[in-house]
This record gives sequence, structure tokens and C-alpha cells, in this order.
Amino acid sequence: MARGPQDLEEEARAIATELRCPVCQNLSVADSPSELAVQMRALVREQLKEGKSPEEVKKFFVSKYGDWVLLAPPARGFSLLLWVLPGVVAVLGLILVVLLMRRWVRRRHEGTPIIPEDGESPVSLLGEQARLDRELKELEFDFQAGKLSETDYDGLRRDLEAQEATVKKRLDSMPLEPPRNAVRAPDKKTPALEARPLRRWPLVAGGVFLLLFGLTLGVLLTQSLRPRRSAQDSITGDFLTGTQPAGGTDALLAQGRAAFEQRNLAQAIELFKKVLASDPNQPEAHAFMGLILAQAGHMEGALMAFDKALAVSPNFPPALWGKGMVLSQTGGDPAEARRLLQKVSGMMPPGPEKDEVEKAIAQLGKGDSGKPSSAKASPADGAQIQGTVDIDPKAKGKIDGQAVLFVIARSTGSAGGPPLAVKKIVSPKFPVSYSLSGQDVMMPGAHFSGKLFLSARLDQDGNPTTKEPGNLAGEYKRNPVNVGATKIDILLDQVQ
Amino acid sequence: MRLRRVVLTFIAIVPLLTILAYGFFRDARYIPSPIVGRPAPSFTLTLFTGEKLNLSDLRGKAVFVNFWASWCPPCIAEAKQLESTWQELKDRDVVFVGIQIQDVEANGRKFVGEFNITYPNGLDSSGRIAIDYGVWGIPESFFIDPDGRVTYKHVGGVGPSIVIAKVGEARQKIVSAKEGKGEYQPIR
Repeated sequence: MARGPQDLEEEARAIATELRCPVCQNLSVADSPSELAVQMRALVREQLKEGKSPEEVKKFFVSKYGDWVLLAPPARGFSLLLWVLPGVVAVLGLILVVLLMRRWVRRRHEGTPIIPEDGESPVSLLGEQARLDRELKELEFDFQAGKLSETDYDGLRRDLEAQEATVKKRLDSMPLEPPRNAVRAPDKKTPALEARPLRRWPLVAGGVFLLLFGLTLGVLLTQSLRPRRSAQDSITGDFLTGTQPAGGTDALLAQGRAAFEQRNLAQAIELFKKVLASDPNQPEAHAFMGLILAQAGHMEGALMAFDKALAVSPNFPPALWGKGMVLSQTGGDPAEARRLLQKVSGMMPPGPEKDEVEKAIAQLGKGDSGKPSSAKASPADGAQIQGTVDIDPKAKGKIDGQAVLFVIARSTGSAGGPPLAVKKIVSPKFPVSYSLSGQDVMMPGAHFSGKLFLSARLDQDGNPTTKEPGNLAGEYKRNPVNVGATKIDILLDQVQ
Repeated sequence: MRLRRVVLTFIAIVPLLTILAYGFFRDARYIPSPIVGRPAPSFTLTLFTGEKLNLSDLRGKAVFVNFWASWCPPCIAEAKQLESTWQELKDRDVVFVGIQIQDVEANGRKFVGEFNITYPNGLDSSGRIAIDYGVWGIPESFFIDPDGRVTYKHVGGVGPSIVIAKVGEARQKIVSAKEGKGEYQPIR
């Protein structure tokens, strides 16, 4: 079959709208911007050019992906239910409605007092009774006269007496003096409600329910759906559809983890903060904040963060691990540290991470938990960086006897990230000599190795997190330095 | 009368609940693959080394085919382990093939270099091989027996234990009907 390029394009598009995009599973191949959908559209066109029929093209994709790839499920197997069920439910519903209507109508009749049917009134009933009486008397007379056999007489008499009884019953059930307008039968359209006012509540309840249902649906739909802005835009983006706008919690967490792994901690903090802003109980974000705080030396803050994570998710491994490590290093509560580390160790697969935890548990077991750096042991323990710190003569007048000197080693040149290792020297006498080693590492498990950037700060209040004016700072002039270097002399020459 | 009403209500509600329960408890992301148990679609892959790899040339060996992309975190997570598993299995009539999809070749070369991957890898630029195998996510892995039949499909990151077990099954031509699903949960 010869197809013009226009026809082919239209046909390809028609097929693509019937295929589900495997990547964006609620979009058709025609609508999805994903690369796989682009490739599938190309393949559809290619197969049409080869002369395959639309059915054959669809069959090809079904043979690769299964019936699932068709947006309209085929009417067989479990999917058959989708085609049959609505019809069955509609028919059953109709039957139910008819049954209910019939019962309703019947109840209406049973519930209302007997009102004479068309043309019937107490007067006519009385006339009827008189006629029946007369007939009975005539029957009696005829029988006595020998005009009737005994069987005929009995049958006719029973018949008339039954009729008379019915009329009598009707008369008994009538008000003695019916109002004039009750003589006529009521209008058939009068609703049963008037006769049965107590049954009004189910209708009211049903109405209220329908109203609420409609309102909820209306509000939710208008809240969650928005028009598509461009071809690249996904159609919806809210809680009702389960999709979240770009930068949702999961995406932020993933970015945060990546930043943490690349040691870009300032960015990681920002990302985890964003996560916590939208979900204040996100355990992973708390746990990572804890790890970052521990790395920066804020053990109290770290413990608080880990506790927040554990409050939400008591068995969250990174939080158990972090809290255990921090406790084992600060020596605050060795028993609790051991309990936490043993718990996390039980959850971990064998590997270097588990070995590290086992090692920390073993260190705790030796009972030397009082020594804060016991678990900081790293392969490069012996390696050190040594040197002196002095103050630039021009800044000498600024020395404060209470000041605290921090010698800081970072693995990157930027001053924003947290330090790898820090030495704290209280009330230093300049020039002061220092040495940094694996013992001074801030982050549990981090290795004191590689190229490091050395700096120092003379802090007025001794709090490393605040940068008050008047602090003195300086960097080693030939940064970075290798671990093991000596004579790394730093001059404090910047006034902050 | 009352009993009849209860029974009727149950007859109406139970099938509805059953369908709902089925819908809620089944994994919506699980999609049975029609190619498991069938002959593996043939392909010719141009490797990063410039050579061409033909699946039909690998008859008689168990084949592990892994679809990946350099931008996909589970692929990064599994890369090192796949290489070490390859080192463990390579002398046992097994071939590993990595197929990079939805990606740029330069990133693929960098990825292979970064993780020291030594088994053959190449880019499926048109996505044709991926579509032939019904790939819908990344990473996905396929195990092919010596007769060229797909024995198992694994969606998501795959670890050494599964690769070793399923390569073993492929060599014995055992087909696992239900595809496996990977988990990716880094501890920190």
C-alpha cells in the first residue's frame, strides 16, 4: 500500500497515541517527551515505511512489552473485566432501581389508609350493601320456592355473603363522617412522603452525602490538575496523581546525598534543610544533618539530629550508626554506643562498612571509651602535619589572653566546607607549634590523608561557629600540603 | 428475611473488595516480560573499542546482558560489583555484555574507564536493542542460556549474588518465570 508522507505521519501518530510510553507510564508514546518514546516513534515510522500495517506494528510492540504497552487494554484475561464489568454493574443497578421503586410504590399503598377507589363512597357502599341484602333475600325466597337446588343455593349464598363481608369491612375502615373532599380518590402523583413524613431523613442524608462528595471531588480535581503549558511539560503535578513537581523530597534527598558524597557539605546542608522545610520529620534528612554536624565537630547538635531521625524511624541505619559513632567518640555513654552499633551491625551486609562498625564496637569493649579519639583510628594514624603558628607583627596588638587558636585542615580550598581535622589550642603563646594527625579528624571514619589546605584562626570567644570581628586568621602560603609534611608555618595576618 | 439481606449484601460486596484488594496489593510497577523463555532478540553492538559484537556468535555460552546509562544512580551503584563478578565468572563459559542506552557515547566511555570495566560495552544509539528487549527502565539485565533463550530478566540494580545464581541457572537452561526487581538503598 502506497502512503504519502503526510498519511504516514498521521498513521504513525495514531499508532503512537495507542501505545503506552514505558518510561512515563501514564503518557502515550505520542505525548511522552522521553528519549525512549522518541525512539519508539521513529521505529513506528520505520515499520510503516517498510509496509507493515498498523496492527502489525502494534503487535511488534506487544511482543516486546506485553499487552501492558497498549493504552486500551485488550478484551481478554483479567482486562476483560474492565470491558464487561461496567455493563454488568449498569444492568444490575437498573434492576436494583426497578426493584426498589416497586417496593416503594407498594409500601405507599400499604401505608396509606384505605380510601375508596374511583367512584366509591360510603354512600355507594351502603347502596351496595342494601343490594346484596336484597339479593340474598331473593335467593332465600327462590330456594324456598324450590327454584334452586341445594348445591346451587349454597354456592350462590357463600358468594354473596363474601361480597357483603368485603363491603362491610370497607365501610368499617372508613371515617364515620368523611369530609366532602375525601369522597374523591387522591391524586396519584401525591408523593408517599406526605403519608410517611418519618422517612424523610434517608433522602436528606443522601443529598448531603452527594453534595459533600461532589464538593470534595471538585476541590481536589481543580487543586491537582493544571493545564499543560508546553510539549515538555507533564500534564499534572500534584498529590492526587502521585507525581511531585521537580525538586520533590526524593529528588532533593538524592541531590543532598550526592552532595554529601562529593563532600560539598554546604550544598548538602542547604538541600537537607529544604527537605526538612517541607517534611520536618524526614528521618534521612535528619540523619544526614547529624552526620554533617558531627563532621563539623558539633557533637551536641549531631546527637539531637540523630535523635530526631530515630524518633521517626527507630531502626534507620545511618542514624543508628551516626549516633553510635558520636557517642563512642565523645565517651558520653559507651553502653548506649555499643547497643546502637551492635544493632546497626546486625542490619548491615558484610563489607568494609560493617568492619568499621565492628571495629568501633571492639574498641568500646576494651573499655577505653573515655579516650575520645579511640575510634578515630585510621590507616594514616602515624602521618602528621607539623609546623608553627605566629602572629603578623602588624596585628600583634590585637592579642587577647582568652583567645583560642584553631589549626584547621580541609580537603578542599574553599573555606565554606567543614574541616577534615582541627586542633584546638587554648591560650596559645606565640609562636606556637602544632601537629595535626588522624587523631584530630572530625568525622568518624574519615581518613587523614591526601592533599590538605591548612589555615589557622585565633578566635576571641573560643566558639568555632561564630566569626566575631577582631578574630585573626591566616593560611599556609603554599597550600595544599601533603600529609607527613613538616614546617608548615602559618602566619595570622588577616583581621576579620 | 434479615439473613437473606446479609447474604445478598455479601454477594454484592465481596467481589468488589476482592478486585480492590488485588489492585492494591499487586505491585503496579511489576510488568511481566513476554520475552522471558523466548529466543533472545539478536543484535549487533558496536563496542567502545570499535569492534562489533554479534549475539549469535555467543551461542554455547551463557550471556549476561546489562542495559545501563552513565547518569543513572543504580547503574553507578552496580558497576563496580558487576566488574568484580565478571572477573570471578569470566573463565566459565560466560560472556557479559554492557549496552549503554539513552546516553552520550563520551559519557559511556568515561563511565567504563572510571569503573575499570573490562567486559565488552557499547552504545545502542537508536534504542533499537533496548526496545527489542522490552526495556522500560534503567538498569535492566537479561540472562541468556547457551541455546540463545532468555532465562531471566532483572529490573533495577543487580548484585553479585543474583548474577552468579542466575548465570548458573542460565547455563543449566533453567527459566525463571517471574522477573526480579532490584533494590537500591545506600546506607549513607
